[in-house]
Amino acid sequence: MSATLHLRVPNRIEELPGVSEAVEALGSEQGWAQDVTYAIVLGLEEVATNVVRHGGGDPGSSEIEIDVTSSDDEVRVEVRDSGRAFDPFHEAPEPDLDAGVQDRQIGGLGVHFVKVLMDETSYSREGGRNHVTMVKRRS
Amino acid sequence: MNVQVEHHDKVLVARVEGRVDSSNSQDFERQLQGAIGEDVNAVVIDLGQLAYISSAGLRVVLLVAKTLGQRNVSISLCALSDPVQSVFEISGFNRIIQIYDTQADALAAAG
Repeated sequence: MSATLHLRVPNRIEELPGVSEAVEALGSEQGWAQDVTYAIVLGLEEVATNVVRHGGGDPGSSEIEIDVTSSDDEVRVEVRDSGRAFDPFHEAPEPDLDAGVQDRQIGGLGVHFVKVLMDETSYSREGGRNHVTMVKRRS
Repeated sequence: MNVQVEHHDKVLVARVEGRVDSSNSQDFERQLQGAIGEDVNAVVIDLGQLAYISSAGLRVVLLVAKTLGQRNVSISLCALSDPVQSVFEISGFNRIIQIYDTQADALAAAG
């Protein structure tokens, strides 16, 4: 069984809980395991939050296009935006996972989650838009 | 998201319910920092009713841990669900903040 969720939302943080809700509904309908749902919702929130915060342009001035495709074997998430070129998988800072509480910096943690929780990630710049793909296998 | 505060002598327990994401992490920070402004020896953050947290929420937990560390107040977490525990492990926070299975364990250690 396969299903696709297609969303277009303004580049505003306040839009993201609605995206999470829609993705959870798809996961429930498609019978995703709890850890798959968590990974997909988290990965999408982290990538979309980066787009809103670092993509440039005023909130609400552009759109983020999201496609989530669920098949028997995997869930594929694609995020496209027209913000400034930014490859989160190579340009975001690497978190220092060994630093103590007082020295620990928070930057890069969201992208680190995506890299660890997803089975595949990729970035490309196409037609003046960023295109992030994340794939999570279901077993 | 909601933060409920209880006092057990000089130990403050902050129980976090619901979801913490980039849309409400500032509210989470305000509620948590407000709760720990008082005179306490230890803070236990009970995440038993926390359904979801992203890096925006972990940033707040780290900020609170830094604030408390500077005041020599201990901090611990307890009752994490499996997915929430995974996120804390991936972040490495489980190596810098004590995590207990239950609130009773956390209180016994903090007492």
